[in-house]
Amino acid sequence: MRRNLRIFREFFRTCLVEELEYRSEFLGNLLSSLFGIAIAILTIQIFFFQTDQLGGWPYADVLVLLGIFNTLQGLIDFALKPNMSRLLQNIRKGTLDYVLTKPVDSMFFVSFRHLVFWRLVDVLLGLGLVAYGLWVKRYVPTLSDLLIFLVTLFASLVLIYALWMLLMTTAFWVIKIDDLSFVFNSFFETTRFPIGTYRGWLRIVLTYVLPAALITSTPASALLGNWSVGATLITVVVAGIFLWLSRLFWRYALRSYTSASS
Amino acid sequence: MSIHVQHLQKNFQVHVRNAGWIDALRSLFHREYRTVEAVKDISFQIESGEIVGFLGPNGAGKTTTIKMLAGLLYPTAGQILVEGFVPFEQKVEFKKMMSLVMGQKSQLIWDIPPMETFLVNKAVYEIEERAFQRTLEELVELLELQPLLGKPTRSLSLGQRMKCELAATLLHQPKVLFLDEPTIGLDVHTQEKVRQFIAKYNREHNTTILLTSHYMGDVTALCQRVMIINHGQLLYDGDLQILSEKLTPYKLIEVRLPEVPSVSWEKYGELVGVDEGKVSLRVARERVTDVSARLLHDFSVADLNIQDPPMEEVITLAFQEEVHAS
Repeated sequence: MRRNLRIFREFFRTCLVEELEYRSEFLGNLLSSLFGIAIAILTIQIFFFQTDQLGGWPYADVLVLLGIFNTLQGLIDFALKPNMSRLLQNIRKGTLDYVLTKPVDSMFFVSFRHLVFWRLVDVLLGLGLVAYGLWVKRYVPTLSDLLIFLVTLFASLVLIYALWMLLMTTAFWVIKIDDLSFVFNSFFETTRFPIGTYRGWLRIVLTYVLPAALITSTPASALLGNWSVGATLITVVVAGIFLWLSRLFWRYALRSYTSASS
Repeated sequence: MSIHVQHLQKNFQVHVRNAGWIDALRSLFHREYRTVEAVKDISFQIESGEIVGFLGPNGAGKTTTIKMLAGLLYPTAGQILVEGFVPFEQKVEFKKMMSLVMGQKSQLIWDIPPMETFLVNKAVYEIEERAFQRTLEELVELLELQPLLGKPTRSLSLGQRMKCELAATLLHQPKVLFLDEPTIGLDVHTQEKVRQFIAKYNREHNTTILLTSHYMGDVTALCQRVMIINHGQLLYDGDLQILSEKLTPYKLIEVRLPEVPSVSWEKYGELVGVDEGKVSLRVARERVTDVSARLLHDFSVADLNIQDPPMEEVITLAFQEEVHAS
């Protein structure tokens, strides 16, 4: 773990150098992020013209949820997404061979080698929105709220990572799908609203099969003081199980990997 | 013993279909698979510090074998031990003491200078600062990298990139090095440089090297021992010189004369060509000394030169004749 952290620091440094080589249009990206979050808030407000509850959640709570959604989205775009297209390329061109000869966990390497820094702006904006939601509700989280929030947020990150890797690993067989991240996004978008918004089989799937319900709702509830030890434990355990599954799947995929011949 | 391979075998399942869209559609629902035996049954051993040339035509099974040795492919059957490790277990200790260079694939980060890749490798291989500086210094000097370190990789030439590639794979001072066509696409001069480097590096660090190449020059310059593989089987494993003697039981004698007399050359050997002031003869190995002496006696020879037949010829014959290991 400590070792991986050191390696991650090196990835961080290298990517910073890489990004400075091609100075991205920081201002333009900042504007687009701001615009995106403004539209999201506006959409919520339109809902609340008609009703004062969304899936059982009042306005301020939904803002907190949306803030967490944005934070997680930012983190996905920061670390996971930039690596996806490269994994596909590595598999197709056979340069995954180099990754596999390195004395480093290959799953760790392919998921964090490339980072896009300006996406961290979304994380900051998301956290800002969370703070704003709390202010609207006039609620100051207690220390234990904050602690449970951090635990569940971390569990959510692990869960997202595991689901993401499960999907990305299919690239070993369907090496022609160029945008697997589209599939993931469609799923992840469902966590933008409280799980109560969904009805019927969709709700069942999102709760029990792909636990989208846990991803944003649990940390948001925790921060708003509505947590229980049971729900927190479940989130942590589910995250752990999915991470374990994704590792199993990755190992299985490597076994059947027949790199492109030279 | 550095590398130990016994009855190694690798099969691939290949999906077959005919050309045309009807067959493409059919293959969507019903796929037919064919088993390709890329490596059939290979056994060999390599001592520490040896450089062994691994030769064979395209598709012979060279790269498949190397990938199994490097732990990238899972063998269908057979055993491999590299420095005591089973490669496919992919242990960290195993990866830290071996390296793989593929001439056609690059590990350098494209947009930034090679030094950045070196630093990533330093972190990944957990190389200590002191050791890193020392190794880097040595490699920079041997490969003449100084002017390249600060340039973005994308602006380097193919030869410069290969040198950096070699440096990147040697920073952790591997005990075993797999080189898969390291000189492909390089010009003659750079090829020569890379060869000299590999030879020197092997001498100084006693690194075990398994090399595949299409350029005979690489093999003759670096390897005493060659393994020849075709259709997934080892055809020959042994001394390059002995192979040459076995397959081409003759040498070429070139005689320079002030003027070429019109005599019957056939009594000396098989006439290969007569040029202005120069006669080339193909002579059986056991008759070479005898024929040379007679030539020197019979003519006023200006220069006499005895050569082995070109290695390309030997290898081509080896691929055709399927000689078996002695």
